[in-house]
Amino acid sequence: MANWVPLWLHRLGSPPVFYRFAGAVRPWALGLALVLAGVALYGGLFVAPADYQQGDAYRIIFVHVPSAWMSLFIYGAMAVAAFVGLVWRIKIAEVVAMESAPVGAAFTFITLVTGSLWGKPMWGTWWTWDARLTSELVLLFIYLGVIGLYHSFEDRRQGARAASFLVLVGAVNVPIVHFSVNWWNTLHQGSTVRLLGPSHIEASMLWPLLTMMAATKLYYIASLFARVRADLIASESGKGWVRELLAHRDGSGA
Amino acid sequence: MTPGSTSAACAALLRRDLTLAWRRRGDIAMPVLYALIVATLFPFALGPEPTLLARIAGGVVFVTVLLAVLLSLDNLFRADIEDGSMEQLMLAPQPLALLVGMKILAHWITSSLPLIVVAPLLAGMLKLPAPATPVLVFALVLATPLLSLLGAVLVALTAGSRRSGMLLALMLLPLCVPVVIFAAGAVAAAQEGLPWIAPIAWLGAGLAMAVVLAPLACAAALRIAMDT
Amino acid sequence: MDNSRHDRNNRVMTSAPHPAPLLEARALRFLRQDEPVFGPLDFALRAGEVALVEGDNGSGKTTLMRVLTGMLRPGEGEVRLDGAAFSLDTMAGAVVFLGHHLGLKLDLSARENLRVSVGLYGQRQGTSANAALAEVGLAGFEDEPVRRLSAGQKKRAALARLLLLPARVWLLDEPYANLDREGIALVNRLLEGHAGRGGAALVTSHGAVSFAGGEPRRIRLHA
Repeated sequence: MANWVPLWLHRLGSPPVFYRFAGAVRPWALGLALVLAGVALYGGLFVAPADYQQGDAYRIIFVHVPSAWMSLFIYGAMAVAAFVGLVWRIKIAEVVAMESAPVGAAFTFITLVTGSLWGKPMWGTWWTWDARLTSELVLLFIYLGVIGLYHSFEDRRQGARAASFLVLVGAVNVPIVHFSVNWWNTLHQGSTVRLLGPSHIEASMLWPLLTMMAATKLYYIASLFARVRADLIASESGKGWVRELLAHRDGSGA
Repeated sequence: MTPGSTSAACAALLRRDLTLAWRRRGDIAMPVLYALIVATLFPFALGPEPTLLARIAGGVVFVTVLLAVLLSLDNLFRADIEDGSMEQLMLAPQPLALLVGMKILAHWITSSLPLIVVAPLLAGMLKLPAPATPVLVFALVLATPLLSLLGAVLVALTAGSRRSGMLLALMLLPLCVPVVIFAAGAVAAAQEGLPWIAPIAWLGAGLAMAVVLAPLACAAALRIAMDT
Repeated sequence: MDNSRHDRNNRVMTSAPHPAPLLEARALRFLRQDEPVFGPLDFALRAGEVALVEGDNGSGKTTLMRVLTGMLRPGEGEVRLDGAAFSLDTMAGAVVFLGHHLGLKLDLSARENLRVSVGLYGQRQGTSANAALAEVGLAGFEDEPVRRLSAGQKKRAALARLLLLPARVWLLDEPYANLDREGIALVNRLLEGHAGRGGAALVTSHGAVSFAGGEPRRIRLHA
C-alpha cells in the first residue's frame, strides 16, 4: 500500500485536528442541508404535478427514495471507515464508522416507515414481503447489531474494533441477502409490485428528488460530525487538548 | 504424527473437545430436547390438520434447528476463554484459524449431528410427505455446518463483551436469512415436485465459501476479543 | 520431539560468539485508552537468566506479560525474540505462558491436559508426561479429573506443562500464588532447572521471593 494513504489519514486522524475540522464544517453542512431540504420539499409538494396513476400519494418518494439511498450509502461509508480503522488502527476511522451506524439506522427506519405508509394506498397493505422491503429490514437488523455490539463492550475501542469487523461481515452479507430474497420472492410470489417502474420520470419530479438527495447527504455529514465531536470529547476527556478547549471556553465565557 | 505438527495439534484439539463433550453427554441431549419441544408446540398452536402441518413442516424444522444451534453456540469459545485455554491455543505454534476450525467441527459433531438425526422424526411428527424427507436431511447436512461457521464468527466477536444471548440472535439473523431461504426452499420445491437441486447447490456454494473464510474471520475476531 | 519450529527459523540454532538475548524489550510502552500502563521499559534476558518482575497491584505486570506473549500489541517499542522482531504469527510456540487462568480443562485428567498441550506445542526431547507429573508432586493423581484436585494441585498440573513443552522462554504470571512453601520451592527448582538447560524465564510476583540459587534479576514496574 502506498505510503501517502496512512500519512494523509494520520494527519486528519489526529483527534484535535478532526475535532476542529468537523466543527468548522458542521454548521455549513447543516445549514445547507436545511435550505436544500426546504427547497426540495417545496418543489416536491407544490411544484411537481400529481402522478396520473398514483395521485398525490406518490409524493412520499421525495422522502422515501433519498432515505433508501442514504441507508445504503451510509453503510458503504461505514464499511470503508471500518476497514481503514481495522487495518491502520486509526481511531478517527473507528469513531466515524461507529457514529455512522445510528444515522444509517435512522434513515433505514425512515425508509421502512415511509415505504409502508406508501404501500397502504398503493398495494392496500402496510407490509408486503417484497424483495426490496425485506432486504431493507435485514439491513436495519445489521445496523442494530452493529450498534448493539459496539455498546456491549466495556472498552470502547475494543467494542469499536469488534463492531467494525461486523460491519465488514455485513458488507459481504448484504448482497447475498438481496440475492437470496429475490430468489425466494420469485419462488413464492408471481411478480411483485414495482415501486419505480421503467416509466421515465418527469423533470419537475426529478429535480426535487435530486435536491433532496443532496440535502440528506449534507445532513448525514452534519449529524455524523456532531456525533463524532461528542464521542471524541467523551473518549479523550483526560487529554490535554480537551482540557485546553474547556479552559479556553471557560475563559471566554467569563 | 509428530507432536507439535499441525495435524497432531488438530487431532489433539478435536479429541479434547469430543472427550469433553462426551464427559458431559447430558448437554448433548439439550438441543435435541429443545428442538423436540418447539416442534411439538406448533401443532398445539396451529391445530392438528395434516395438510396445514405438511405445508409448514419444512420451514418449522429449519427454524427449530436454527434456534437450537443458536442456543448451543453461545458456549463455543466462552469456556475456553474463561479457563485460559484460549490463551494456550493462541500462543501455540499453529495457525489459529485451523484450530478454530477444529473447534467448530467438534461443535458441529456434538450439537448439529444429533439434530440432523432427529430431524426426520420431527418432520414425521409434522406430517412432512415422505419423499421430501431425504431432501430435508440433505439440506440440513449442508445448512447446519454453514450456520455453525457463521455463528462462530459472531460468537468470537461477542466473546470479549458482556454476556448477551439476545445480541447474538440479533447479529445472526441477517446472516442466516439466506441459509433459511435456500434450505427451506429446497424442501418446499421437493414437496411441490419441482427440481430442488438449485437451492441445494447454492447452499453448497455458501458452505464451501464459509469453510474457507469463516475460520479466518473467526481467528481475527478472537484476536480482537482477547485484546484486553 | 521437536524442535522443528526452531529448526525452521534457524535463529535459535545459530550460536554466535555473542548470542542475541533470548527475550528483549526495547523502549516498550503500553497504553490503555491512551493512558500509559507501563514503560518505557528496556530489558534483555539471556539464556540461563531468570528475571523477576516486581510491582504493586495495578502496576501492569499482567499486561506486560500479555504484551510479551504477543496477545497484546505494545503501544510503542518492540519485543525481540532471539534477535528478531516478535509477532504472534512468526514465533508463537517459542514462548510458553502461564497466566492467572491455568488453561486446564476441569473435566480432563492432568495427563489428558498434558497430552493436549503436547499436541499443540510439541514435546521437549527426553521428557515424559509421567516423569513431569511425578516431578511436580502429582504422582498418583495422573488420571484424576482436574476438577477434583485442590487449587495448589491444579497449579502443579499446569506447571508440569512447562517441563514438557520445548519453549525456551517461560513467561510465568504469579506462579507462586496458591502454593504452599513446598510448592514455592518447586517453582524455584523448575526455574533453576530451566535456566540450567539454557532457557530464560520472566516471573511476576507482588510479594518478596527468595531464590535459593542466587539472586534473580529484578525488573521494577512503577504503579
